[in-house]
Amino acid sequence: MDASMESLLETYLFETNSLLDGLDELLINAEKIGDFSEDDVNEIFRSMHTIKGSSAMLEFNCLMEIAHHIEDLFFYIRENGIDSLDQTHKSELFNLMFKSTDKLRSEIEKVENNEPLETNIDSFVGEINGLLKKISGESEDAADTKSGGNAEAPSDGAKAAAIPVSAGDVPYFIHVYFEDGCGMENLRAFMIVNALQERELNFTYYPNDIDTNPDSAEKIIEDGFYIGFHTEEELEKGATVVGNAQNIRSYEMVENQETPAPEENEPEEKAVSAENNTASPAASAPAKSKSDTAPAKKKDTAPHGAVKQDLISVNLSKLDALMALVGEIVITESMVTSSPDLQGLNLDNFNKSARQLRKLTDDLQDISMSLRMVSVSGVFQKMNRIVRDMKQNLNRDVRLTIIGENTEVDKTIVDGIGDPLMHIVRNAIDHGIEENVEDRIAAGKDPQGEVILSATHTGSEVIISVSDDGRGMDTDAILAKAARNGILTKPESDYSQKEILMLLMTPGFSTNTEVTEYSGRGVGLDVVKKNVEAIGGVVTITSELGKGSCTTLKIPLTLAIADGMEISVGKSIFTVPISNIRQSFKATEEDIVLDPAGHEMIRCMDAFYPIVRAHELYNIPDACTKIDDGILMWVEASDKSYCLFVDKLIGEHQVVVKPLPPYLQQFHIKDSGISGCTILGDGNISIILDIAHVYEAARGIF
Amino acid sequence: MAETTVDLIETEEGQSSKSTQRFLTFVSDNITFGVSTDYVIEILSSYMICTLPMVPDYIKGIINLRGQTIPIIDIRLRMGKMPQDYTDATCIIILEIKDISVGIVVDSVTQVLDIDLDRISPIPTQNQQELTSSMISREDGSVILFLDCEELISQ
Repeated sequence: MDASMESLLETYLFETNSLLDGLDELLINAEKIGDFSEDDVNEIFRSMHTIKGSSAMLEFNCLMEIAHHIEDLFFYIRENGIDSLDQTHKSELFNLMFKSTDKLRSEIEKVENNEPLETNIDSFVGEINGLLKKISGESEDAADTKSGGNAEAPSDGAKAAAIPVSAGDVPYFIHVYFEDGCGMENLRAFMIVNALQERELNFTYYPNDIDTNPDSAEKIIEDGFYIGFHTEEELEKGATVVGNAQNIRSYEMVENQETPAPEENEPEEKAVSAENNTASPAASAPAKSKSDTAPAKKKDTAPHGAVKQDLISVNLSKLDALMALVGEIVITESMVTSSPDLQGLNLDNFNKSARQLRKLTDDLQDISMSLRMVSVSGVFQKMNRIVRDMKQNLNRDVRLTIIGENTEVDKTIVDGIGDPLMHIVRNAIDHGIEENVEDRIAAGKDPQGEVILSATHTGSEVIISVSDDGRGMDTDAILAKAARNGILTKPESDYSQKEILMLLMTPGFSTNTEVTEYSGRGVGLDVVKKNVEAIGGVVTITSELGKGSCTTLKIPLTLAIADGMEISVGKSIFTVPISNIRQSFKATEEDIVLDPAGHEMIRCMDAFYPIVRAHELYNIPDACTKIDDGILMWVEASDKSYCLFVDKLIGEHQVVVKPLPPYLQQFHIKDSGISGCTILGDGNISIILDIAHVYEAARGIF
Repeated sequence: MAETTVDLIETEEGQSSKSTQRFLTFVSDNITFGVSTDYVIEILSSYMICTLPMVPDYIKGIINLRGQTIPIIDIRLRMGKMPQDYTDATCIIILEIKDISVGIVVDSVTQVLDIDLDRISPIPTQNQQELTSSMISREDGSVILFLDCEELISQ
């Protein structure tokens, strides 16, 4: 695959994926109302049309076929109005559409993974056609009774009139031959037609049933494809379009001098009737649809143009490279301005310029950071779809309320929370919301269950919570289950409510005794926890029996940059994220108390906290060992709060977080409380401590 | 942060043919090793290594190489030899193996050689050295062991 094809494919994937996402959102909203609006129908029609066209261009036949048939279906609906469908058909249509977008998406995934596409989609296409027949059959019956059974006639007439487009109609035409064996000649011709329509050219073409009649491919192979124009100017414009199309063996421009200038109306009508050749009951359809399709086309191009101007899609690796570079610049800048060579020199102008430079690099950093920020709405909207599917299959009445979907977080985080959120939302509905509406009514709750998905910012963190108003979690049942599964580490009576809820996130735990399609396979919350921790976050669960539960994800806003406090232990320099630090203070030996196990504790604000000595934990030589010489830093991360004993504080810095080299992952370096590293102004490396894991590592040693 | 370039290139068998490959040779614990220059990115001397806690002793730490953090392996310790204080001759060879960059600490770097791949033979099993799988004996009687780079990064 050459480079241009590759970028074409990339654009195709991006475009198709965003169309499918848009469709999903539209379907969810439409289903909520229980009806498609005219705009919705047009939108679906247009999206399918685009998918069909671009899939055909890249020869993804299966995608093209599906899109093609859905397009047919919606073409019919558009012509007849959504109101011609009764409620059962509508719900069938909804289900079919969801199924189709899923199908398309799974095929797109195959394209992404370079897997072969499914070739046999007859049954699926049959399903779409079946519904089309069902709808059209019934409304045609209705038409029959009204107009006395002449439904077939006009469509036949339209076809008959369309067939013999000879050179006689128009003064100029282009005669196109496609490459031998390139396949799907009719669609290729259709794409040329599309391209011409985009140029707003006035033209006719033959065969004119190319988008609906697969047999037209044969005709095109034999006789070529004719495109007729009225003026020489249009002919030339048309020729450039044709010249740019793909898989064309040859084309020639033919001037037909013998014909008198044709009447305006007739060919135009033909062009329109070609689009309008599904069995439309009314004879006046051509005129009506002409006015219909024209504005639809305009709408089609307008929003797309606007989107293209506002947004460009950039490969994430380029952004990462930019981020890394900006990080380097920030460091180099401070390296230059605080260079030891400048010590003791009086450099007014230099200092002025240096300040200016610092300001600019700061701005540059802020902007490049903001490039990576995307809103969580994409992920949240996907949850709509999950709730909708589960509602149908589990037969529970649940609504999803979304709060703060415009909250922006780092792209890596958005990518990272998709799967965990899906698990949590599924859990909330499957385990949380009561199975029977009667139970809810008996408990005095709204019969419709509610799941609230919310996102908020707090300084350096984003908090995403999923809460339900279901039956809550039965801590006794959880404890009993945990005991059965043998995952308890201490006597049952020693577990606090919080600890019991934490048990839910232990691998292999699932309270649902029956495995359903959605949850209960014993891989759920532990995977959630792992995934969230991978992006630096923490998961907490709170629950009240009978009132519902809430799962909260606390995730750092960005992974790339942090405010850090530099500390030294012996000769090593570490960085502790400022957000973890509560207080730093001096203490004396007398303040230290020992717990029965001999662990050191210290009293801060009326509570005792364990002390972790960094030098002991990491075996660092030449460090302060007496509490009086060093400094205690009261740190807090998720549910852990303790005091870290270090030599001294060096100062606060904004640091660019770099991951540790991948080679080191095999030594489980994350478990020893190191989350990454950063490069200091002098080019040396400082290790960034992960406060939660430091405590765990320390506890392992004690 | 001085960088030493090794430009002593000696062609072993006269003209280089298709079956020859270029190797960088270095000494560690008085044994001469060779590593294919395909893997070698650069050679550094005297670099500030940031130590990491809780890793095997042969991981000396990480260095900052123009903004990239690279783990450093002491080849002596990795092969189970006694540690030795670093001197002026001590070098770090930065290798890139399957997209993973690592640096290895060696006693000294000697030269770059063109070596005929046909003359490389497996090491007799009784003398097997960790991380090496093949060797070559040269005309002057010296022996070069070839470092198995992929073995180096796999655990």
